[in-house]
Amino acid sequence: MKRDPLLLTGLALGAGLLFLAPVIYSIWLSFQTANAYYTGTLAFTLDNYGHAIGQYNFARYLVNSVIVSGLVTLIGISLATMAAFAFARWRFWGGDFLFGAVVATLMIPSHITLIPNYLTLAKVGLLDTYAGLVLPAISSGFAAFFLRQYIRGIPRALDEAAYMDGATPLQVLLRVIVPVARPAILSMGLYIFISEWNSYIWPLVAVGRQDMYTLQIGLARLYRINPGEGMIDWPLVMAASTLTLLPVLLGFFLVERHLIRGITMGAVK
Amino acid sequence: MASMGRNLLSASAIALCAASAAAADVQVEFWHSFGGGGGKALDTIIADFEAANPGIDIVTEHVGNYNDIVAKLQAAIPANRAPDAVILEVTRYGLFADSGVLLDLTPYLDADPLKADLFDFAREVGVYEGKNYIVPFNNSTPVMYYNREIMERAGFAEEPAPKTYDDLLAVSKTVTEKLGGEGIYGIAAPGQFARWGLIMSNDSDLIDSVSGEILIDAPNTIDAYKWMSSLVHEHKVASPDGVTDEDLGKDAFTAGKVAINLGSTGSYGGYVKALGDKLEVRPMPCNKVCRVPIGGAGIGILASAEKEVQEAAYKFVSFAASAESNAKWFAATGYMPINRKTAEQPVAAEALATQPGIRVAIDQLPVAKGRPRPPVVTWMRSTGYDMWQAMALGQRPVEETLTDFAARTREEAKRSQ
Amino acid sequence: MTAGQTDTARPAVARRPFAGRRLLRRATPYLFALPLLLFIAVFTYIPIASSLNLSLREWNFLRPDKPFVGLENYRTLLSQREVWNALRVTVIFAVISVPLRLGLALMIASYLVRETLPSRLLRGALFLPSVTSTVSIAVIFSWVFATDGGLMNAALTSLGGPKVPWMQDPMLALCVLIAVNTWKQLGYDVIIYIAGLQAVPPELYDAAAVDGGRRWHVFRRVTVPLVMPTTYFLLVIAVIEAFQVFTIVDVMTRGGPAGATDMLVNMLYRVGFTLFDIGQGSALAVLLFLLLIGLALVKSRILGRRVHYEA
Repeated sequence: MKRDPLLLTGLALGAGLLFLAPVIYSIWLSFQTANAYYTGTLAFTLDNYGHAIGQYNFARYLVNSVIVSGLVTLIGISLATMAAFAFARWRFWGGDFLFGAVVATLMIPSHITLIPNYLTLAKVGLLDTYAGLVLPAISSGFAAFFLRQYIRGIPRALDEAAYMDGATPLQVLLRVIVPVARPAILSMGLYIFISEWNSYIWPLVAVGRQDMYTLQIGLARLYRINPGEGMIDWPLVMAASTLTLLPVLLGFFLVERHLIRGITMGAVK
Repeated sequence: MASMGRNLLSASAIALCAASAAAADVQVEFWHSFGGGGGKALDTIIADFEAANPGIDIVTEHVGNYNDIVAKLQAAIPANRAPDAVILEVTRYGLFADSGVLLDLTPYLDADPLKADLFDFAREVGVYEGKNYIVPFNNSTPVMYYNREIMERAGFAEEPAPKTYDDLLAVSKTVTEKLGGEGIYGIAAPGQFARWGLIMSNDSDLIDSVSGEILIDAPNTIDAYKWMSSLVHEHKVASPDGVTDEDLGKDAFTAGKVAINLGSTGSYGGYVKALGDKLEVRPMPCNKVCRVPIGGAGIGILASAEKEVQEAAYKFVSFAASAESNAKWFAATGYMPINRKTAEQPVAAEALATQPGIRVAIDQLPVAKGRPRPPVVTWMRSTGYDMWQAMALGQRPVEETLTDFAARTREEAKRSQ
Repeated sequence: MTAGQTDTARPAVARRPFAGRRLLRRATPYLFALPLLLFIAVFTYIPIASSLNLSLREWNFLRPDKPFVGLENYRTLLSQREVWNALRVTVIFAVISVPLRLGLALMIASYLVRETLPSRLLRGALFLPSVTSTVSIAVIFSWVFATDGGLMNAALTSLGGPKVPWMQDPMLALCVLIAVNTWKQLGYDVIIYIAGLQAVPPELYDAAAVDGGRRWHVFRRVTVPLVMPTTYFLLVIAVIEAFQVFTIVDVMTRGGPAGATDMLVNMLYRVGFTLFDIGQGSALAVLLFLLLIGLALVKSRILGRRVHYEA
């Protein structure tokens, strides 16, 4: 059976667009006026974005999300890489047990920690702060596990050559391991960033002050309080929704390959 | 907007007395539940207060509805991030009063000339176990709203004036049959306040206000719920939308998609704006008896706030209940006057003269009844939403649901004692 | 290759007589692992112990004391229909959505396994939702399935169909949640399956490649058995996810109507953070924890020693 590759591409494109139709339509909707939407006419505007960013504070939420996800990613990936280095390169007393404890976190539902973590952060006064959002999200057992596997695949001869030159373990980590493991670290970093960007239940619990909302919380709340007189102002909600998914959407096209490589490396040995 | 008022105010303060003056202000963090027209009226009251009290700055946050406030306040306690003053619904502050979270305002109110000005019913809503914990701000009774245009189109030459459950159902059926094709329903599924009212008008209650006895499974309560549920799942004269989210019921009414809506008089301002002279307001139906619950909220002050802040907060609370403020509030929203002198205020007098619907709730006062507020009510009301959904959507028989709910409420009451 | 060898290989340069130096060397792996372990201890393991403790107490955040009540919270919880309803809904959700996800994903993956432009385009489109904000998706689908003004009903009514109360009907609301969750996660499963399929030597397909009429046969006899390890992996992931679904429930239904979509984590959030029954909320968290650990154990029984890492 021979098929026209152009036709196939067209078909695939069509199917993909159809699959994503709700998202695409929601973006289209965000540029319409509420009035036009309810009367079934067409009138385009950027006001929805203006309102979302100004009156409904989404600029602030965007900044919060960037700061929180950025910090979680930077600190999280650093800690995971260091631990992975230790578990991959040393056999030490308690090492297997400790590594087991790290891997076990993959199986533990995070929700069991919700109330105690709330109370811990309440006690030290860190709710409603960036630290309160960041700290409980930092440890990524998955990244540590994954990077340890990856580092084990790096020839030890590289380490040893560096030690011969008088390098300290930290220098070996930074100058030998990190450059070689860069693609894996990058993939894990993306994975952490996206998970944190989309994180919902912890910020929902940990943040009460509006100016500390992340995008996810801001959007859920905007939808819940139902702006608009009588009817939900869908175009406004969709503008906020677009602002919430846009950064990942844009980033997606840049890093799709890394991302896919990251998840598949984790899944298939 | 309050923040704009505050900005202006602090800007002028800076201009007048140099930059340090603003820093010396006492800040009162205040959580409330008013958006839309109510929110704007509240902002005006706050701006007036701040103009009259230059040393005090009211920092507001619109938290959401009454449930959201209760949840957020409860979560805030172990974190020490409670506000200084907060709007609390009249049946749900007992929980906080009981555990020492709220400041006993009795000494403040006793020393305040406001006390004599408050109507008895309004003062009563703030009393829990003999002490005053909230000062009334917005009080209400449920009323019956209807859309005159829809009634006329459904063929009612004159006002149907339903009095009993049967009357209400008959009118709703007629409307739904005539106009259902256009997506118009006879009645909105009753919201939580209206449900309590309908139970009272069936000569029953959820909790006895004197003895505290739980009446959720009393025969008349069961009958009331059977009738209310039947509107949705049996007769289909009410849309299930309003069951899952009672705001959707209100929205449908303002959008002209529902003929009758039973709800708080506090919605009056918004409804007039949306429906204009199509809106008619009548007293609640009286099935077995004429009786309505007193609802709404008052402002409480947190025991954890500093003394200086508490005093500033009380000044605001007292100001908000003054005749001047209350008149503005009443005229803008439809919530009842709580102050005996409110009606003398020009803005209130004008509202009463020009908007006949606004006085229906006031006229109902002789049959209005306060509701009890032990801690268990907070639990009962939070849990009650799911029970109502199960019954109204026909997921679970009414009698079984209420028997179970009553048993659990009794157990919960025992636990919270 | 053991670390012992490393230790003997390295000291050729690093050996120094000072005890402090040696201590530092022995401490090196601990120092590297410590920060992560510290965070895991403080924010995962200690909270588990503290949930256990709280589950034996009665507390509502308001009073300073937390009286010990033994197993009372568990008894109350298990004697109420809510938790059984939540378990039932969660199991239904898992039982429908997991096979749906995996079945669809494998079929799609077997079409998209080739590295051609159309295949890559379609993969990208399918994958996009799985990295997109769940809240956004939940909000968008709330609009799609809104009774009035929603996309779905607009389409239905324009075709002469009825207006369907998607989110007000208990059965339909659960179906909508399953559909949305499947839509979101499908692309992830597809990508993993494609990786699994690409690891299969192409000769096996060539050997089994037969005319179009027997594609199904090839799929069942060759593809399905060959990707069994991937299927196990995805099965574990999907089941764990199904038991922890919260965001779409919270945004789209809040567990309603009438508890029809009240899944376990949603109930946990409600009991803990709207009713503030900290004892019962913690008890529920402990039960959920045990349930997932139980599932994990059953899984590793089935899979034998086929764990994801080899120590």
